[in-house]
Amino acid sequence: MKDLKHIHYYEELLEDANNSLVRHARSEGNIAAGYTCYYVPEVLLNLDKAFSIRLRAPRTGSLDISQYYMSSFICGYSRALFERAFEGGYNFIDYWCSSETCQQMNRVVENVHELKLINNEKFGHGIIDAPLKVSEHGLKHYITQIKAEILEPLNKKYGVDISDDSIRKAVKEHNELCAIFEEISELRKDENPRITPREMHILSLVSYACPTSLILPYLKETLEDLRERKADETNRWRARFVVVGSELDDYTFSEIMESCRAYVVADRYCFGTIPGRTRIPLNDDAPALEQVCRYYLDTNMCPRFMSQEKVMQRHEEILKYAKDFKADGIIYEQAKFCDFWGYERLIGPAYIKDKSDIPVMTVDREYVISGSGQLMTRVQAFVESLTLKKKQKERGKK
Amino acid sequence: MAKYFGGCDVGSTYGKCVILDETGKIVGDATVRSKINPVETANMALSEAISKVEGLNGPEELTYLVGTGYGRNKVPFADENISEISCHAMGVHITDPTITGIIDIGGQDVKGIAVDSDGTVKNFAMNDKCAAGTGKFFEGMARAFELPLDEFCRLSLKAKNVIPITAQCAVFAESEVISLVGEGKPREEIAAGLQVSIAKRCFVMAKKAGTDGKITLTGGCAKNEGLKKAIEQVLRIKVAELPIDPQLMGALGAAEYARQLGM
Repeated sequence: MKDLKHIHYYEELLEDANNSLVRHARSEGNIAAGYTCYYVPEVLLNLDKAFSIRLRAPRTGSLDISQYYMSSFICGYSRALFERAFEGGYNFIDYWCSSETCQQMNRVVENVHELKLINNEKFGHGIIDAPLKVSEHGLKHYITQIKAEILEPLNKKYGVDISDDSIRKAVKEHNELCAIFEEISELRKDENPRITPREMHILSLVSYACPTSLILPYLKETLEDLRERKADETNRWRARFVVVGSELDDYTFSEIMESCRAYVVADRYCFGTIPGRTRIPLNDDAPALEQVCRYYLDTNMCPRFMSQEKVMQRHEEILKYAKDFKADGIIYEQAKFCDFWGYERLIGPAYIKDKSDIPVMTVDREYVISGSGQLMTRVQAFVESLTLKKKQKERGKK
Repeated sequence: MAKYFGGCDVGSTYGKCVILDETGKIVGDATVRSKINPVETANMALSEAISKVEGLNGPEELTYLVGTGYGRNKVPFADENISEISCHAMGVHITDPTITGIIDIGGQDVKGIAVDSDGTVKNFAMNDKCAAGTGKFFEGMARAFELPLDEFCRLSLKAKNVIPITAQCAVFAESEVISLVGEGKPREEIAAGLQVSIAKRCFVMAKKAGTDGKITLTGGCAKNEGLKKAIEQVLRIKVAELPIDPQLMGALGAAEYARQLGM
């Protein structure tokens, strides 16, 4: 297939957290709101002149400094963010919106604050306390926290319009972005899809790592290109997989999948398109803020939720993706030392194996994946355990 | 004209090659020390194995060639590459179909593999970015003991007691061994402690992969008699002997896949 429109530009944007679109947005007086987690509703950071940046640490090297300030038993993503902040890589952030959902990330923000690592006189931060259960009481608490730790500071400190109209406008733009991904995602259901896992991962990453209003026109053109694009005549994919798991912002993972001719049909991980790239429904009956917060709690599939209905929702959703996208297998990926996914990685596959005959593989991985020959061996062996078995059966019949 | 099928296993410490004829009989094999460049390793192993087959002049004359091992993508003239996990399973299966579990101890990783009745992989587990329990680990320990590798591997067989080694990390274990040797502890008992600590690691891999029934060892470390004895003690099993060099199992499996795909 020919190169996807803008794909090389997207690769360039992903080389730096403070990429050219972020710099452009800030040069026009806009407010960069960094965040890391789905518990912080991205759309509420895109109000008025504020824009959201889901934080990454591209080109991460050694993590010695973060190890000193935190510990070696903290996930690589958290440590990489701290290390990057220490190196001065996040001085462009005006407001860091965090959540007390992951204690490791909480420590990053606290350390960044205590050590005054962000060299930006406008810099501020807020940490929300999110509920552990989805209920009316939990929703009320969540809204209160978001108002106190995100919306009010954005309004008071930076003059951001946080009105109901402003929220509805942001949701409209967010939904435009999500509509693109919903359409592209449908293409992955084809037997011989016209978009590769690597390309999809890159598109998803740029949509999180760039200001929505600035990346949207490019993504629209990419979608147009995809509508016209034809898949290669020979279907090179040997098996189709649902990938679920923790934070994953290194598209090398998808490159490894591709090199093993494994197709990712659904990507349910932090920085993936599920659930972050599905449209938010809004009506006129209730305040937009309440509807947005309810939506984020309802669709949140972080294993931090340990109430039974949420646990079952996560397992059942994964089985649903496998069925809808005609997957041959499921891969659970866990960032090393991610507490919540360490737990989920054990119980999720057990449930899947109990309720279906879909093969499951689990892997843990470092934050930076490049050079991981062992990960490639694992993925390839898993693909082969499916495809070679089919061939052996065919041989047996002959 | 006779058809020949090749399997080339480019490992981190050794390159292995097996050539099969149409009936699946081994007609040539080779084991060479790995070079830094995997292409060079593959070429050496292929050349040596091919030189043992009359009428076969080069890898391009093989009907089908499968690459495996960490350098599987670098095997010249290969028609396909298959992971070493699948190849070890197939290699063991065609050698002894009653074996259902493998502990593969290579130069840079340890794997537990559960083998299905058709020679494919039922399940597997492997260690992660750590030299503990690998060929590299044993090479380091032999260096600390100032012994040739094969002599070090037999040392623990003489031990009457086992001195436990607490460090799992290859680097720290070496320091611990040097301290114990310095304290004048019996060298064979220290060696036995090392073998037991690695056997425990192998136990975890085998259990994670869900192996049961008849288990064998493959990879270069399968020749380590001290380790084999320790694994038998820790796993409480009798390790199944293979009639073919266990280090060749990956290359043999690759050659068998080449035979199946090329026939």
